[in-house]
Amino acid sequence: MSHPNITFCGDDALRIEAPDQSTRLARARQLQDSGEWIEVVPGRRDITVQFDLQTDTPQSAQNRLSLAVSKPLLSEAHSMQEVRLPVHFGGESGPDLGGIAHSLDLSESDLIAQLTAKPLDVDMLGFTPGFAYMSGLSEELEIPRLSQPRQQVPAGSIGLISGQCGLYALAGPGGWPLIGRTDVSLFEPSADNPFRLQPGMQVQLVDADAS
Amino acid sequence: MSITILQSGVQMTLQGAPRIGTRHLGVPASGPADPLSMALANRLVGNASDATAFEITFGGAGLCFNTPVSFALTGAPASLTLNGEPIKSHVTYAAHEGDELQIAPATQGCRIYVAVAAVLEARRFLGATSTYIPAALGGHKGRALKANDQISMAFVRLVPTQTTPDDLQPVCSNSYTLRALEGPDFSLVSADVWDEIYTATQRASRMGVELTGTFPEVGPDANRPSSAIWPGALQLPPGGRGFLLLADAQTTGGYPHILQVARADLHLLGQMRPGDRVRFLRRTHEQASEALRAKQALLSTWLPDFAL
Repeated sequence: MSHPNITFCGDDALRIEAPDQSTRLARARQLQDSGEWIEVVPGRRDITVQFDLQTDTPQSAQNRLSLAVSKPLLSEAHSMQEVRLPVHFGGESGPDLGGIAHSLDLSESDLIAQLTAKPLDVDMLGFTPGFAYMSGLSEELEIPRLSQPRQQVPAGSIGLISGQCGLYALAGPGGWPLIGRTDVSLFEPSADNPFRLQPGMQVQLVDADAS
Repeated sequence: MSITILQSGVQMTLQGAPRIGTRHLGVPASGPADPLSMALANRLVGNASDATAFEITFGGAGLCFNTPVSFALTGAPASLTLNGEPIKSHVTYAAHEGDELQIAPATQGCRIYVAVAAVLEARRFLGATSTYIPAALGGHKGRALKANDQISMAFVRLVPTQTTPDDLQPVCSNSYTLRALEGPDFSLVSADVWDEIYTATQRASRMGVELTGTFPEVGPDANRPSSAIWPGALQLPPGGRGFLLLADAQTTGGYPHILQVARADLHLLGQMRPGDRVRFLRRTHEQASEALRAKQALLSTWLPDFAL
């Protein structure tokens, strides 16, 4: 039995390619809901699952994943959830906004207008707890990561690199240039699902200081 | 009923069960860097294998027991004293009120575990008490312990003395041979990677250990769109050094993932210290699976509730 799109990642994990965002998220949800995998982790173009090597063999896990991904995906019954996030752009909340705008030959307000023009898609959570990778920005905005990561980025900070925004749910170290911060709590430690943002959600950034 | 930290050494944290099924939220596993040693310490005081215990990096630490309680130490070898009297690792002892445990710097290996016959008070996050310092999750206020911290205890017990069977006492070494498999980006390196000897650098933490040695030079264009990564992954960032991931490793990353240490040998990574040598031993999926079963079978009579 061949498994064209399934590859091993070490001894107890398998990966399937899934470049299309909506297919990837629907497939990841199907795999999570099955309860058959220890971890189901969507990446930006793939999904990785971990299995229990104590009870599974590499072959049985591969066969099970192959069977699972041959099943049709349930059409997404619930509509795409949209979250509005008021953001304080620039200043102390977004110390790198001015520098980025300058490097792109834009005014700060032009850059803010681009960021708030339409909702962004939450692709995945990763890197650090609750960090949300959001896409939907023009890939033409070329913005490198900081050469020296910050030791401490405040919770709610929004970073910007080429084509992507990143939302820091928790305070922690971070290497993305910061453009703003939201006061909305993105983390409720005692909740079943402590992180407010989930892959598949849409996030509309709103300029909190606009008059 | 509590324990007072006298000296915390390089880093002392509370660790318990790893967080499982949380990597899609960006939440790393955490838990002990050397889960086997922590399980062995807990076994000696009658706890579950993953009960919350102290993890002490490089020793050089002291604890004061403010109440009578049984305890045991495992992990990296170091001189140990209780009120100045030498004691041994892998044996259960009973502390009296006010007894002071002193742990000298570890002579080999990296991490020492102290388990007590009690429930240590720790924050719980997503079902586990393990400390994850970068996001201040779990443990004692989400942070490393420091001198004068008081850790409260409940269900304090005195238990019979036991000793870990000789053949189950792990031996720390300055050189490791780790069974490993090709990672998803193995094609970036040559088969020479299996013949090289690598050396752990000073850049070592609960997130990972940097390795020097002969790696192919890869530029930033070798980076991949972010994919899942996890403990045991050997990544190759630009700059020609490898990075071997441990318990607190981030959940996704874009650096090439060239090798993956077999699950059977993951616990060994927690004892690697700067200067230690590492070789990777190529294994097939079937061999890695068989190695896990064999090691698990060896441990199961003494540690029936522990899974590698």
